[in-house]
Amino acid sequence: MAIPDVTQESRPEVPVLIEGVDGPAAAPRSMRVRKWLSTTVSRLGLGLAFGWILLVVGSAVFADLLPLAEARDTSAAIDTPSLERPDLFSAHPFGTDRQGLDILGGVIYGARVSLTVGIGAVLTGLVVGGLLGVLAGFYRGRVEAVVNFATDALIAFPPLILLLALVTVMEPSVRNVTLGLAVLGIPTYIRIARANTLVIMQREFVLEARVIGARNARILFREIVPNVLSSLVSYGFVVIAVLIVAEASLSYLGLSVQRPNPTWGNMIAAGQSSLERHPHLVLVPGLVLFLTVFALNRIGEAARSAWDPRGRS
Amino acid sequence: MLKALSLKLLRLAAILLLVSLGAFFLLDLVPGDPAAAVLGEGATPEQFAEVRAELGLDRPAMERYADWMGGILTGDFGRSMQPPVQEVSDVIAARLPVTLEIALLAMVMAVGVAVPLALWSAQRVGRIDDGIIGLGTSAAVSVPSFLAALLLIYAVIFNTSMVIAVLSGIFGVVAGACLCRAAWGLSRERTVAAGLPWLLSAAAAGLGAALVLTGFPDFPRQGFVRIEDGGLSENLRSVFLPALTLAIVECAVFTRILRNDLINTLGEDFVLFARAKGMPTWWVLLRHALRPSSLSLVTVAGVAFGRLIGGTVIVEVIFRVPGMGSMLIESIQSKDYPIVQAGILLIAGVYVLMNALVDISYTVIDPRLRHGHS
Repeated sequence: MAIPDVTQESRPEVPVLIEGVDGPAAAPRSMRVRKWLSTTVSRLGLGLAFGWILLVVGSAVFADLLPLAEARDTSAAIDTPSLERPDLFSAHPFGTDRQGLDILGGVIYGARVSLTVGIGAVLTGLVVGGLLGVLAGFYRGRVEAVVNFATDALIAFPPLILLLALVTVMEPSVRNVTLGLAVLGIPTYIRIARANTLVIMQREFVLEARVIGARNARILFREIVPNVLSSLVSYGFVVIAVLIVAEASLSYLGLSVQRPNPTWGNMIAAGQSSLERHPHLVLVPGLVLFLTVFALNRIGEAARSAWDPRGRS
Repeated sequence: MLKALSLKLLRLAAILLLVSLGAFFLLDLVPGDPAAAVLGEGATPEQFAEVRAELGLDRPAMERYADWMGGILTGDFGRSMQPPVQEVSDVIAARLPVTLEIALLAMVMAVGVAVPLALWSAQRVGRIDDGIIGLGTSAAVSVPSFLAALLLIYAVIFNTSMVIAVLSGIFGVVAGACLCRAAWGLSRERTVAAGLPWLLSAAAAGLGAALVLTGFPDFPRQGFVRIEDGGLSENLRSVFLPALTLAIVECAVFTRILRNDLINTLGEDFVLFARAKGMPTWWVLLRHALRPSSLSLVTVAGVAFGRLIGGTVIVEVIFRVPGMGSMLIESIQSKDYPIVQAGILLIAGVYVLMNALVDISYTVIDPRLRHGHS
């Protein structure tokens, strides 16, 4: 599910420099310039990614306070022109759809659904999966065998098929979709938590806690959980991105929140039939979806190389 | 080794059993009476009883499951509930090859592009072109497949002339750059070997531009043409865009993984030795570095193929391709439970088997993993 991080790889070793001739640390100037350039560019990119996510989160939270045209109630939008082209200096900066609903407003209210589902599912998955993984890694033995088997069984279902199976039998609502996606994220979290717990169990401070006679609960919650948490959270961004895509795919297929309540996926689905004449119906929510997922992936990569010891090389 | 293998097989059997239980008892999770969902409103009590008998709802659950499993093991998947009533195995036999073709084509395209890209990127690690490839791949993995499909449709079908202009422009620029590089190499070293690879790539890019300009095919917006009906070229034309959509994301993932492994391999002593012998870069890359670096690519590609068998759902829906994925969606929407159950069982089964195969081949390829060092 998670895509391994490769951009933060260090460069392979610099060709051997002959000491005394090249000097011990005198890298060629072009190399220094290149290094400076690449760090500057990646920092700038990370800043832009943060800015975009802040913008999306902010407008989703304060959507009700923003001066937006009607985006959800078709009867209130009855006298607004339909299929208007994007015009940044009008009442509908990103245009309107077939029913005259505002696209900008739709995108912002859609962000609410996407973020609620993504963050809610990740938090649920993090708590449940993280706890199970830590317990499996801590107690080993039978607990571990059971948890591992359950994880394998969950992973055995292809993700989208599992989701389809779940939504076949559930009402499509924000809560149910969040739960379904949380189930999707749990195995990943179990594996990460278990692997990290196994590593941390070998460390001296855990042994020391045992030696001074700490009980299991204390070791678990004071020594292990705080250490596992950082890598779990650092994976969180990437998992949010994956789950936002999954939610968008579901609502594109009409299996999540229903029209006229806007989500990015159902806006794209509603606009696809007029793709040729009115591409903005698909391109605007599509671009917002892409930028959000892209930004979350970049932030996730940075977070993993900063917080997860295994992500560092 | 044998003990580990039999343990794995046992585990595989247990998981397959669990998958089949999951697929089967999904029916019992449907809120309300499944028979009511099948019939809709206004059905007579007789019809009701008939459907309940057909679904086996009048019998105990375990007996139903045993019957169903027994039927599947002898190749009988039951019959569909909605008109036209047909054998589920016939439906699947018509749908599965379509999905297999798309998945296979997508994998071939993805690997075919990913290997050269990763080689280039790893060789030029840290430079601008490596950075561009990195940015491109990380952008490509952020595009959901339905969005990629719609963008491709918008560009290739509704703005064909623009796509032709852009593609031939790119090929033209590449050809020009290669020509310049060849001229520079020739003027500096004055041997044919210095310029020949660049001349060849310039010729290839030029040929690409010419092909795009003269023979850009007319891709259909939707639908699928079987080989029996329209010949191979019609068939390939109808699956090209769906396969390309799937290939984009997979290609990005493969490129990143292979590049990562290649960078590690290129730091090894035997690569340094080959370089010290004076081997040309392309020889070192292809003969010495590629093979030991392709282990995780093989793994990921295997898992991806297993996933694609079920993961083509969205692409099949968008391009109206009659494969397994669209079958699943249609039968979910029409409440045709026997098809849903068989479809989920088959897709998940293939996925599980593919994962197990990859798992086993992993230990065969890399002896260090045989004794559980991982």
